[in-house]
Amino acid sequence: MDNDTWEIGGKTLSSRLLIGSALYPSPANMEDAIKISGAQIVTVSLRRQAAGGNDNTGGNQFWDIIKSMGIEVLPNTAGSHSAKEAITTAQMAREVFGTNWVKLEVIGDQYNLQPDPFETVKAAEVLIKEGFEVFPYTTDDLVVAKRLADVGCNIIMPWGSMIGSGKGLMNPDNLIAIRKQFPDLKLVVDAGIGKPSHATQAMELGYDGVLLNSAIALAQDPVKMADAFRVAIEAGRLGYEAGVMKEREFASPSTPTVGTPFWHQFD
Amino acid sequence: MIKVSVNGEIKEIEENLDVSQMIEALEYKIKGFAVAVNTTFVPITEYSKTIIKEGDKIDILAPVQGG
Repeated sequence: MDNDTWEIGGKTLSSRLLIGSALYPSPANMEDAIKISGAQIVTVSLRRQAAGGNDNTGGNQFWDIIKSMGIEVLPNTAGSHSAKEAITTAQMAREVFGTNWVKLEVIGDQYNLQPDPFETVKAAEVLIKEGFEVFPYTTDDLVVAKRLADVGCNIIMPWGSMIGSGKGLMNPDNLIAIRKQFPDLKLVVDAGIGKPSHATQAMELGYDGVLLNSAIALAQDPVKMADAFRVAIEAGRLGYEAGVMKEREFASPSTPTVGTPFWHQFD
Repeated sequence: MIKVSVNGEIKEIEENLDVSQMIEALEYKIKGFAVAVNTTFVPITEYSKTIIKEGDKIDILAPVQGG
């Protein structure tokens, strides 16, 4: 897989895994997991922190580690519930992180954290005009993907299933439809991945990459799981490039029938 | 003195402070942050031109882990 590079947001990368930086048992564990995963893009966020300078969240330590790793950062707008909030967060992230990349996330329902398609499209349109490279987190709805493409998104990130659910690809047929409709856009399955095989499946569908966090960070051994996802994503991509065989309705023997032993013709 | 909301907490600061002066007055020590006043982003280049007023809602955001 050494020669397999791809381009996203103006960068040429060799890893097709986009990894989250949250929920790890410790900052050191996060660093080890990110390193072994081979990921070259890591998602980060912005939050209020104590005004008096008491850095209770460990934010500075976390950010120092990420900076020292020399990989691309993809700030998210997590927690936004309107286009306005997402736009403001993206603008603030651009200044803090020094990148025009933004993972656009506008939540429409607090129960299942489903993206709000209307506000997401509205925010994407504004941010693209302001020079952002928008990585929009959306559902697997084809029409929403179309609207995002219409406003200028080069990248679309449909969910596999609900954030943090680990349920895998709820509706592969919808993901296939989006892939077929947008052969030239960069498509990344974002959210819902639980097992390495889910990531392999997404890659076999022809998706360009997979973004995940909980599946690695909440594993019993996040570092080993990060390695598992690295291999799984490479396997899925290779499988897609190799061309998967067509399914058949009936059995078909793989061993040659010519020369089958113990068969004798008497008539 | 005026009352403002900083990251959801009510604070008293002097009148007519700009954003840089407010940050200093609040003794905000975390490196690498961005500021919004009344949910509108204030770029660093606008700090000296943006005067904080009574009742303003200020958000100071810094890097954290994210998915």
